[in-house]
Amino acid sequence: MRDRDVLDNNPHVSRSALEAIHGQVFGWALSRCNYEQAVAEDLVQQAYMELLTGKARFDGGSSLETFVFAVVQNLARGRFRRQATRMRLVHKAMPEDDVAHPDEPGEVDRVWRAVQQLPPRQRDIVELVFCRELTIAEASRVMGVSTGTGRVHYDRAKKTLKEKLGDD
Amino acid sequence: MTENELANTLRRAQARLEDGRVAPFEEVFSAAAARVRQRQLRQRVAGGAVAAAVVAAVVVSLLPPAEPDWRFVDPETFASDTSWAAPSDVLLPERRFDIYDEIPVLIESTESDGGALL
Repeated sequence: MRDRDVLDNNPHVSRSALEAIHGQVFGWALSRCNYEQAVAEDLVQQAYMELLTGKARFDGGSSLETFVFAVVQNLARGRFRRQATRMRLVHKAMPEDDVAHPDEPGEVDRVWRAVQQLPPRQRDIVELVFCRELTIAEASRVMGVSTGTGRVHYDRAKKTLKEKLGDD
Repeated sequence: MTENELANTLRRAQARLEDGRVAPFEEVFSAAAARVRQRQLRQRVAGGAVAAAVVAAVVVSLLPPAEPDWRFVDPETFASDTSWAAPSDVLLPERRFDIYDEIPVLIESTESDGGALL
C-alpha cells in the first residue's frame, strides 16, 4: 500500500484497494436497486464519501470488501427505508418481469427467477455467498445480523431453492 | 443441481446483469471526492457565517454604551426666545371666569361653632 494512496481520514483504506474491489462493490450496489445504474452509482459514490470523510471508519477488523459492502447495504437501507412500504406495495402489484432478469433463456433465467422469489434476507445471503464469494460470517456482517441468524437464512434459502429447482 | 452448479449459474446471471453497467472506478471516486470537497466548502462557509455572527455579537456587547446626545441650552438664548403667560391672562378675558366673583360656598365643617376657624 503506497502512503499517498491512503485515504486521509481512513488510514487502513487505500485508493488502490478500493479500486481492486470496485467491480464487486458496484455489482452489490446494483443488486440493491434492481440494477438501476444511476442509483447504484450514487450509492457507491456515497459509500466512497463516507470513507473519504471518515464517517465510515475501517479498522481492519474484517476484509475491506465486507466493510464496504456493509456501508453500501446500510446506505441503501437508509435511502429506501422511507420508500419501503410503498416499494413493497409496488412490488406486490408489479408484474414479475419488471424485476431485472439476465437476458438469457433457459437454466440461468430459471435459477435467477427462483432466487428472486426468495425473501429479501435469504436472497441477500445467497447473492453474497454464491456470487460474491463471501463466507456466511462475512455475509452476516454485511447484512447486520449474527452469524447464527445468517446461517439460518442460508440454510432456508438453500432448502427453498432445492425444492423449487428440483420440482421444475 | 449441486451447490457449485448453482453458484456458477448465479454468477453467470449476475455477470450478465452487471455487464456494461459498472461505472469506472476513477469516475465514481473522483465524483465522490468532488462531492466531499463541495460539502466541506459549504460547511466552512456556514461555519464562517456563524463565527462572524458570534464575533459581531461579542463585539457589539463589548462596545461602551453610546453617550447621550446632550445639548445644552444657552440661558440667554432661552430667555430671549421664551415667554411665559399666567393662566389667568388667558382665562379671564376669554372665559370670563373670575375666581373673585365666584366664591365657593364653604362647607359646614368650616363654619364657626363657638370657636375660631383654623
